[in-house]
Amino acid sequence: MLYINDLTKNYGSFTAVNHLTLHIPEGDLFGFVGPNGAGKTTTIRIVCGLLKASGGAVRIGNTSAAVGSKEMKRLIGYVPDFFGVYDNLKVREYMDLYGSMYGMYSRDIARLSDDLLELVNLSDKKEVYVDTLSRGMKQRLCVARALLHNPKLLILDEPSSGLDPRARVEMKELLKNLHSMGKTIVISSHILSELSEMCNSIGIMNRGKLVTAGRIEDIMHQLAGGTRIHIHIVSEMETAVRIMKEHAGVTVESVRENEMIISHGGTDEEICNLIGQLIQNQVILTGFHREEGNLESLFMQLTGGGAQ
Amino acid sequence: MKIRLNPIVKKDLQVAARSMRLSWGLFAYEAVLTLAFLLAMMIIQAESGDVYGGGNVYSYLVYLFPVLAVAQVCIVALIVPILTASSISGERERQTLDIMLTTCMSPFAIVVGKVVSAVLRILFFVAASTPIMALAFVVGGLSWSNLFYFLLTIILLSVLSGSIGILCSALCRRSITAVILSFAFYFIIYILTYIPVLLRAAMGRGNAGESMLILLFNPTVFFEEFFMHIMTGDSLLGGTGYAFSRKEVGFLTYHLATGKTWMFVSAACILLLSLLFMLAAAWKVNPMHSSSGRKPGKARKK
Repeated sequence: MLYINDLTKNYGSFTAVNHLTLHIPEGDLFGFVGPNGAGKTTTIRIVCGLLKASGGAVRIGNTSAAVGSKEMKRLIGYVPDFFGVYDNLKVREYMDLYGSMYGMYSRDIARLSDDLLELVNLSDKKEVYVDTLSRGMKQRLCVARALLHNPKLLILDEPSSGLDPRARVEMKELLKNLHSMGKTIVISSHILSELSEMCNSIGIMNRGKLVTAGRIEDIMHQLAGGTRIHIHIVSEMETAVRIMKEHAGVTVESVRENEMIISHGGTDEEICNLIGQLIQNQVILTGFHREEGNLESLFMQLTGGGAQ
Repeated sequence: MKIRLNPIVKKDLQVAARSMRLSWGLFAYEAVLTLAFLLAMMIIQAESGDVYGGGNVYSYLVYLFPVLAVAQVCIVALIVPILTASSISGERERQTLDIMLTTCMSPFAIVVGKVVSAVLRILFFVAASTPIMALAFVVGGLSWSNLFYFLLTIILLSVLSGSIGILCSALCRRSITAVILSFAFYFIIYILTYIPVLLRAAMGRGNAGESMLILLFNPTVFFEEFFMHIMTGDSLLGGTGYAFSRKEVGFLTYHLATGKTWMFVSAACILLLSLLFMLAAAWKVNPMHSSSGRKPGKARKK
């Protein structure tokens, strides 16, 4: 869906984005992670046509339209990190304004606005002035506005910044909902826990460069040198440790009273065989589980910190 | 084919109509015009001597219209840059400009929308002043065509002031700076355009010659010509005693200054200047025309 090729942005001698190459497939919910000044917002602004790149190319889908052209703008829905409002403008009029800016007819805008306001749980606020809405409501309205022209790609720059916990949950649910509808979504955020819950793939930027990108589990697997498995053992711990140590490709990381943590670089089938072997050797297990991916630790490992 | 209203014009008028500022602005506008009217009446009475003593006050009443018109033009010249100078910078301050620029509206359409909405708001003020202007209409010295020409003049000057304001708004990040810069532009267009003419006259050439052509862009000269035209049917420049010699000043200057075409050519020049200002503003607003740009930051979050 989104192809970024060798993108570079210089501000004088400072390089904000350094030869960034990235591909986001259709239907992905992609999280853009990085510390402040990593180049996330700059990249997003270039893709949205709000900033001219110093070099490189951006393409959406199969179109060959230039960044900033009307054709390209029709493909993107942009939600900035800050929601500016006009005094004395109602929610319905706000939607009508931006629909008109995309060249839509009032009849179509009214119909789509109703559907979208329902989607973002604001259908009862149509006649309310925008500046009286809460920040969370404004942000959801902004998402509805960005979806009005049915873009192929929705880009959100720090959508949860400044929101209270309830509004964050609502925003997260809304984005999950949109993802399930098949929308391709790119989110830049500092709230890593939220991203790890929502996104199926991420890109980590640091100092203008893309450190890594891909599915969260794949990146974890790649970095940890294998999958970490927690095995809960009631008896015969020594036997279990001996069996594990005999296997090439298995590293016993820690042994506690009733728990052993191993890392394994093999396939799921090999892990199943390993557990089976423990049971055959009279080791009594109460359970085992694969360690969940931890985006925070991954982020710290790759960038040396900088996000929440 | 369905004609569509520029969405920015619609939004700006909607927002302005609900604002108390419009009501207060209208009140102030009417108050200033009323004061100008009363002042003009007092001066007319004073000039004509004691009304009961047989002075002919009616012959002076024809000057009511120019007085009110000049007052209106001065107010418009002050209001329009304030309205437009905060338009782009205001959108920037609210952080709504970025969203606007990601839509299918071109930067030029955004700029034109802002100028048109300012001009329409001014026309609303002018329309509201009709009762006061009607007093001048009643006492004579004014025809329907004159009133129509006056309306066109107001629109022309509003477009120029609006385009100056919008350019300054595009150049400055803060509204207040944009307003100040607008008045600096005013100084250049309204005052500094006289300098070449005065310099040439001071150098003892006898007349301003072709340097007068720069005054085609000066709205004050245009307005003076307009009034001479509607009050006397003559040209101010042609009747001020300039010893024009066609050979010396050239064909164009001679015919423009001595004939009655100055006003129309000047109107075209002012419109052209306005268009250039709007194009420059659109160029400045367009993010694709900035090679380096400002580094995006999060410092302006409220």
